[in-house]
Formats: sequence, C-alpha cells, structure tokens
Amino acid sequence: MPAGLLNGFRVLDLGSGISAPWCAKILADYGAEVIKVETPGSGDASRRMGPFAGDDPNPEKSLTFLYLNTNKKGVTLDPSSVSGRKLFDRLLADADVLVHNSQPVESKELGLDYASLAAVNPGLVVTSIAPFGQTGPYSDFLATDIVTYALSGLMYHSGDSDQPPLRNVLDQSLYVAGANAAAATQVALFARLTSGEGQHVDVSAAECLGAHLVQPLPYYNYMGAVKGRRPVRGAGFEELMPARDGYVAPSVQGSQPWATIADLIGLEELKDEKFVTGAGRVAHGEELKELLIRGLAQWDRKPLFLASGERRLVFGMAQDAGDLAECPHLEAREFFIDVDHPVVGSARYPGMAVRLPGEELSAAQPAPLLGQHNAEIFGQDLGYTAQDLITLRQHQVI
Amino acid sequence: MPSAHEPQAPLKNIRVLDLSRVFAMPFAGAILADLGAEVIKIDTCQTQFMDTTRTITGPFPDNQPGEFWWEQGGTFQNLNRGKRSLTLDLRSEESQKIIKDLVRVCDVVLENFTPRVMARFGLDYESLMSHKPDLIMVSNTGYGHSGPWSNFGAMASALEPTHGTGAFMGYMAEGTDGRLTEGQVPNKMGNSYSDFLASWTALGGLMAALLRRARTGQGQWIDLAMYQTGTTVIGTGLLDYVFNDRRTLRIGNRHPVWSPHGVYPCQGNDQWVAIAARNESDWQTICQAMGNPELVSDSRFADPIDRRQHQEELDDIIGTWTSEQTSYQAMTSLQEAGAPAGAILTAKQAITDPQYLDRGFFETVHNPPEVGLRSKGYVGRAWKFSNSETGIKGPAPRLGEANEYVLAELLGIDQQSMERLAEDWIIGNLPEGGGAPGQVPLDEQAVLGWIAEFHADYLDKLPPVSPRN
Repeated sequence: MPAGLLNGFRVLDLGSGISAPWCAKILADYGAEVIKVETPGSGDASRRMGPFAGDDPNPEKSLTFLYLNTNKKGVTLDPSSVSGRKLFDRLLADADVLVHNSQPVESKELGLDYASLAAVNPGLVVTSIAPFGQTGPYSDFLATDIVTYALSGLMYHSGDSDQPPLRNVLDQSLYVAGANAAAATQVALFARLTSGEGQHVDVSAAECLGAHLVQPLPYYNYMGAVKGRRPVRGAGFEELMPARDGYVAPSVQGSQPWATIADLIGLEELKDEKFVTGAGRVAHGEELKELLIRGLAQWDRKPLFLASGERRLVFGMAQDAGDLAECPHLEAREFFIDVDHPVVGSARYPGMAVRLPGEELSAAQPAPLLGQHNAEIFGQDLGYTAQDLITLRQHQVI
Repeated sequence: MPSAHEPQAPLKNIRVLDLSRVFAMPFAGAILADLGAEVIKIDTCQTQFMDTTRTITGPFPDNQPGEFWWEQGGTFQNLNRGKRSLTLDLRSEESQKIIKDLVRVCDVVLENFTPRVMARFGLDYESLMSHKPDLIMVSNTGYGHSGPWSNFGAMASALEPTHGTGAFMGYMAEGTDGRLTEGQVPNKMGNSYSDFLASWTALGGLMAALLRRARTGQGQWIDLAMYQTGTTVIGTGLLDYVFNDRRTLRIGNRHPVWSPHGVYPCQGNDQWVAIAARNESDWQTICQAMGNPELVSDSRFADPIDRRQHQEELDDIIGTWTSEQTSYQAMTSLQEAGAPAGAILTAKQAITDPQYLDRGFFETVHNPPEVGLRSKGYVGRAWKFSNSETGIKGPAPRLGEANEYVLAELLGIDQQSMERLAEDWIIGNLPEGGGAPGQVPLDEQAVLGWIAEFHADYLDKLPPVSPRN
C-alpha cells in the first residue's frame, strides 16, 4: 500500500517522458490516486526510451516507464477530439491536480492552458513543467536534458576543470524538476485549503537547477570570482581517488582530527606534522596526493568506507547500480519494493526517497499497460457503457 | 482567471523550528520562509558549534571577512534568507528545555544531526512528540535513522558517488583503436548535488504531511537519508541492473541513442555550447544552421548509427563551427533554425542571462548597511504561482536578532531569566571565541584551481538591483 498522506487527492498525469511522470509518481507514493492519461496508440514517450527489460524495445518494457509509473492507473485519451474532450472534462471535474510537461505552445493547442482547464474546474491545481517555464524569451526553446542543464548555470561546474563540462546520462534536470513540481503542487493544494481556489503552478526545470547555485552565485556577486569545475591540482581529498577495486572519495570534512584520517589510511608518512592543518595540506598538496594514492591502493572500497564510518569520518565510495541494488543498508531500511508486472514479471524496484515511520511502502502496483484502466475509469467511474467505449476506441479517442 | 481573494502567502500561518545546519535543510527552511512560514533558525554564540556557513563557507564581500564576518557569508545569506535567529547552547539542559517549549508553538521541525546527537539532547521525534502530538519533523542525515550505517556522518562531496550518480557519469576513455570508448572513472555532478536533492525531497514530504495534518490532525516523522534519496534519481539505472545486469554507463556527453549530442568549444575562456539532435529533422537543421547542408548527404553521417560510428569526425566538424562564435551566438543560430542548443552559462553569465532576468529568478535582497553587505541578488524559486504571494522576505537574520521575540513574546520568559541566559553566553548577538576566518587571496585561488577566474570590476557588471519595496 502506498503511504497514506495524500489519500483522497486525485491527480491527472498528462506527462510524458520523465519530469511530470516523476512528479506524479512522488504524489502517488504519498497516497494520491493518480490517473495517467496517455495518447492512444503511442502512449508516453518514455515507452520508447531505452533501456528496456531484456533489451527488448517493447513499449511495455521500457525501464524508465516501468519505474516512473508505478501506483498509477492508466487510460488513453485524445483530448483534441470533441468526444475526447467531453471525456477529459469529466475527468477534470473530479481532479484536484493536473500535471503536464508540454511546451507552452503545445499546451495551448491541446487546450491544456490554465485558462481552459480552470474554466472546467476552478479548484484544480495545474502544474506545468517546462525546460524554461511558461514565460520569457527561452520559453519556446527546444531543449533536452543537456540543454536545460547547460543554460541553468549548473553544468559549468560538473566534471574536471581541464575537460569540458560533463553531464549525468540519466537526465537529472528532469528528476530535479519533477521533485520540485511535486513540492510546489502540494504548496498550491495547501493554499487551496484557505482560498478555496486552484491555481497555475509554472515550474522551470532550468530554474530548479539554477537554485543549486547558492555557492557559485555569491562567488560572483560577492567577490567577482567564477567558481569552476573540480580542480586538477590539490591533495585529492573530496575527490574520487583510485582504491584497489574501484574509486573512493576520501574526505577531511567532519569533526575528526587529521590523526584519525592518517591513521585510517594507514601510511606512516601521512602522520607528518606538515599535513595536520588545512593550510599545510594545501601547501604540500602534490606530495599528499602521491601518499594518498599509495595508501588507498591498499584498500578495497567497502572496507575503507565502513572503517571511515566507524571512526566518524565521512569518506564515500563510488558505487554502481549493482552495489546499490544489493546494498545491505538499503535492504535494512526496507527501501526496495516488490512490483509484479504482467509483461516483465516480478522484480525489486527502488522505493521512496524518504522513510515514513508508520507509513511504509513495501510493494507497489506495476506501471499500467497502455489503456489498462479505460474500462474501470471511463466505464465504472464515469458511467460510459461498453458500447460507448467501443465507439470511442473505433474513433481513436481512447 | 480572476480570483476572489488577494493572493496570500501559502504558509503564512506555519511556524518552523529550524535546527539544521550547512546546506540541505537550511535551504529547505529558506524556501519555507519564501512561502510565508515563520522560520526560527537555532543559532549559537559558540563559534566552534556555529553553522559552518556562518563561519567558514564564505564567500565574503570582496573576499574580506569584515568586522561582522559571521553575518556576511554569501552562501549563508542565500540559505537563510527571511528567517529569524534564536541563539541557544544545545549542550545545556536549559536550552534543551527551551527547544521543547518552542516545539509546542511550532508546526514543523527541521534538523540534520546524526541520530545519536538528537537522542543525546533528548530532541528525537518521539521525545518532541510528547510536547507536540501533531508535530511534523524532518530528520535529514546521510544514511537515515535505521540500518547498519545510520550513525555514519556524511558530506555531499563524498556522498554523491556513494549514491551512484557517478556510475552514469564520466568522461570517455581512448580505446586501443584510438577511438573513444566507455569510461571507467566515475565523476560528480558536484556543487553539493546530494544536498539539493534532499532539500526538494524534504519540501515534498513536508507538504504531504502538512496536507494530511490539516485534514486529520496527525503528525509525521520524515526520516530522510540523503543516500537513499540519491538512489531514487537513478532508478532507471538500478532497474537496468535488475533486469539486464548492467552496472554503469559512462559515455561523456554523448547520448545512448541520439547523435550528435555533446558540448562544443566556443570563443572565450572555457566557453561551451550544448547541442542535441533528437531525430533526423534536428540533424538536418543543425547542418543547415552550420552552413554545411551537404553534410546531410555524407554517407558517414547518414543516420544516427552511422553518426555514432563516426562521432569523433562529426564532433570535430561541429566544434570547428562553434569555436568561431560565442556560445550565445551558436545557441541562437541553432534555436532560430529549430534545433535544441544551449550555452553553458557560468554564474557570471547566468546573473545577466535574458531568461533569468525576464523571470526575475535572482531576487534582490536589501541588506541592512550596518552588516557591511550591499543589496544582492539571491537564488529564487523555480515555481511561479498564479494565485499565491511568494518571494524572499529579507536578508538572513543577524545572530540572535529574535532572542527577545522568541523567548519573551512566544515563550513568556521573564527579563531576569533572559539576563542570566545572556551571562551564560546562551543568548547573545556576538560569537564567543574564534575570529574571522582567514581567506586565500583570489589570485592564489585561481592558481590552485579553486576558482576559474576573477573580475575585480564585477560590481560594475552586475544587473541593476530591483528597487526597495
């Protein structure tokens, strides 16, 4: 069972790809009833995005789709046709939230602009996620994750200073935007408790990342400095450094003295007095890095990480998808959830970002097959007859 | 559509007790203040226990921590704008009692101590709930309050690779045939990425809890582990392991399917433009915009599979074109032609970027002149509400500026007790011990690679600040 915090709220997910579906998934995990509305025939664009289960590019096997759409019901509906719009307006009338990530110009064409939606249901919270938001000179720019990341100002800081800026391949701007949208949508629902009215929430993915500039911004507007990417020079702390079986992130942060760090790494030369202070470690950075590389070469990632934690140090280790999927700590926190899907079968999926004592999520409904809940939502809930549904299907409305 | 009401601040009746430090939860608290909540930051006069953003993070105006250095850090200001400040010394029982009394009149508590610290102070959720049964509290830690690693400390810089983003991020390596191949070395989003994931996640959880409390009267404890939160944003990668046994994907700025896709050098120091071709139409548009339409019929680049096989040659051709123009020029000609492209902005460029300016994303804060800060632009929120009033309410609070308000007005503590608290350095407006942190001169920072460049004339180049309300 999903966590019950948002029980009783109904959300229409008109999203496609990652940002709005991730927003709606977060709301679903908190207990909202989410109805995913897909285009008849093709469905959510993420159904065509790799990777696929078993590397089989089948629209029911997209791992992104399977991950982002658990705990949702799925219907197909083309709101641009007359009977589709009627059906859609019935759904709107009972909804608390509609979230979508169409470009501003598309929303207008589809009748998904706020004015059209609010005319049907003035209490509706409409959350629009777009790369640059609904207004401004870039609002109709074509953007993918790398473009949004670039223009946010954050990408400049990712990667190494002697290499070009670097992105993460899993479309992080869209996850950050979805998480922001989930929070902002609920702020609007909270405001509705007092005002009784819905409203439009305009979320800019680029600004979601731009909000992360709490250091680079004042570096410039407080002292004229452009903060760059990770320096190549330095002592190697707070950076990824090679260990015997992969990479670790040794750290001097936290409250422990240098002696604890030197003792953990276990190289006699590291105990030299010249490394005790931060200034000393900067002055002798190159020498220290050499020693660090020698010392870390004696360690595997995980034993070093565990020993660091036990000494109240804050080292990290580079983990891959396998390490995480089999992580005993995440296991102990009951993070993973069981999902049984009719096409790809049963598997353990990542669960919620937070643990909610008393409201744990141990299993989830699988992502819907394309149009899986048409009969339930349109028939049982809205009262369309079986014959009506056949008519709508033949006209490619559903 | 016209509203029957004047827009109001969504959280105007919510009071937040912010015990948190550093980045993640303080930023969440700042956003709550922007939304209208009254956020009381628990500060301390004891310099060694102060929020490190007050003491060492900086950056300070012109790299000079002034007489009031603990009020002046630019990152501290961004992360704590619009809050109130109460000083306490959480080691003292008296301070712990004040926290418990204060919890009774607050709605939300934010904190990021390791589990053993809050329990030692008697300020864990269970204890606080006995004073405020419908309390909503976010406890943000590296690894959460359950599980074998729960008492491990964490900092975003080392945590980020631990939660796996680096498995999907890294430069490509040169293969034996001289062509680029998947890289083995993980890399980082950097800039405390994990902290901000926690900020957004905390806000989502808090709002869900506030919505339920409004309807049922029930509180909620939110056990936020940044490690766990970080894995959820790479969920597709985890499922690729579960279903396909694949563990990493490090392909630089390339895309698994699209080509071309990457960043290309432009005129100027360390300037780049990102370009992405999602389909054949984008590819043709890019060729046209480059003034090189014959590339479309070049057999090496006929479809995305061919283009990926000749990616190095293609990247050279595109890079030659981009390097003759500025990043904005390359972006503009591609966008006007109809292909996705974006300049990679530095913070210096972002602050005058037309889109950010048009939406007023960086909000001006007018600082009181006595703390030695000019009016500054701070990061805003990515959310525009059509019918709610939101915005940065003012600068970060001066140390202990709300001592009188919180202790006397909210808790009814008498003047004599307040004087005793002041004598014991529990409340006050000045740091006890320590001095201004030393700063490395900017020219040395540039040599060390801590900063890319600096501009002594930056004040002349900042956009005009918005007028005082």
